[in-house]
Amino acid sequence: MSIYGHCRDTLVSVMNRLVSQIEAYSKTYEATSGERLYEHLRYRVKSEESMLDKLRRRGLEPTPMNALRTLTDAIGLRIVCLFIDDVYENAARIKALPGVRVVQEKDYIRDAKPNGYRSYHMILDVETEETDVEGNTPGHYYVEIQLRTIAMDTWAALEHELKYKKDIRNPEVIAQELHRCANDLAACDVSMQTLKRIIREM
Amino acid sequence: MKILFAEDETDLREVVTAYLEYQGYTVIAVCNGQEALEKAKADAFDAMVLDVMMPVMDGITAMRRIREAGNLSPAIFLTAKSQVSDRVEGLDAGADDYLTKPFAMEELSARLRALERRKRDYKVRTLSFGNIVLDTEASELRAHNTIGLAYKEMRLLGCLITNSEREIPTTELLREIWAGEDADANTVWMYVSFLQAKLQSVQANIAISGDRGHSYQLREI
Repeated sequence: MSIYGHCRDTLVSVMNRLVSQIEAYSKTYEATSGERLYEHLRYRVKSEESMLDKLRRRGLEPTPMNALRTLTDAIGLRIVCLFIDDVYENAARIKALPGVRVVQEKDYIRDAKPNGYRSYHMILDVETEETDVEGNTPGHYYVEIQLRTIAMDTWAALEHELKYKKDIRNPEVIAQELHRCANDLAACDVSMQTLKRIIREM
Repeated sequence: MKILFAEDETDLREVVTAYLEYQGYTVIAVCNGQEALEKAKADAFDAMVLDVMMPVMDGITAMRRIREAGNLSPAIFLTAKSQVSDRVEGLDAGADDYLTKPFAMEELSARLRALERRKRDYKVRTLSFGNIVLDTEASELRAHNTIGLAYKEMRLLGCLITNSEREIPTTELLREIWAGEDADANTVWMYVSFLQAKLQSVQANIAISGDRGHSYQLREI
């Protein structure tokens, strides 16, 4: 028995359809401009094990309702871009996709987290012809999307390692240096975006 | 304030040491240039007072060696001679000021205070304007977020903040920040653009006004 109940297969097809939609607009953009809107597009349905783990951590009953309604990250996409402007361009194009409604948006690029984390987060409500966990047809599924630059992605990878590593010596110093790295990377992202604009204007 | 004091005449050394200690300074007193050099290498001092004529190693040689070792603490030298060449040599060796013997104690401590004041002024760590803080030590710009700054960006922003009540011409910025470098109005404008974007990214409530090649000024938005 899956934690996602009868929705297990639908999750995969909802995810694949959204991925195809994103790949489609990206392809069109590339054909007209010769440039890519993103470098990587990664996606996954959260594993049964991780989902059960997360429900337990949150003190939630392990039911499909909690997995698919209380929590919203059963389907997760990550889009990694070259430039900051591309992050916002992708966000705008995703919002405009048919059958997609934005439930929540958090711009951690404008409002960096205290530790220096930067990313653009969206929670989508995606409509599908298939049934959802509540038995509705058409059904509704949540999708979490993280959009960021390569620099932000590198930083997040390192921060993730720090977060899950136990018994680190002087963690404050590491956190402080990591924060400095976040600020330096942000400086680089902003400078490169500015240079790109200047080169275009030449 | 910790002071390194080198003087070979015992009476004078004791009197000056007592006076400076009475003024609240911590004084490490030595008898010649060689000892001064060793102390300066072993410890950090807020200021140094060195006599010129001393046995073993004279004050000017000691001064030069101390500076060669990268020590930038403010220094005053004491000279019995009133020759111009002597004072020139002392200043060129890296001293910041001098006193001709005999001198008044009050003048020595006034000159120490002056050096202290200058040192503090040079060490302005943070500058503020609008909702931003420029941290020159960490090379960071802070407002809602924090972002790193390149050296030239930091100098440029510092210049804009300290002159915020007037427009600064591109020529002046080139002279101040890019002196002796291969830079022109476009260089300045590029750095203005970098700063502009960084101000936006930390959600500053200020921006830089001015067109390429003209004058720039910080404005609240």
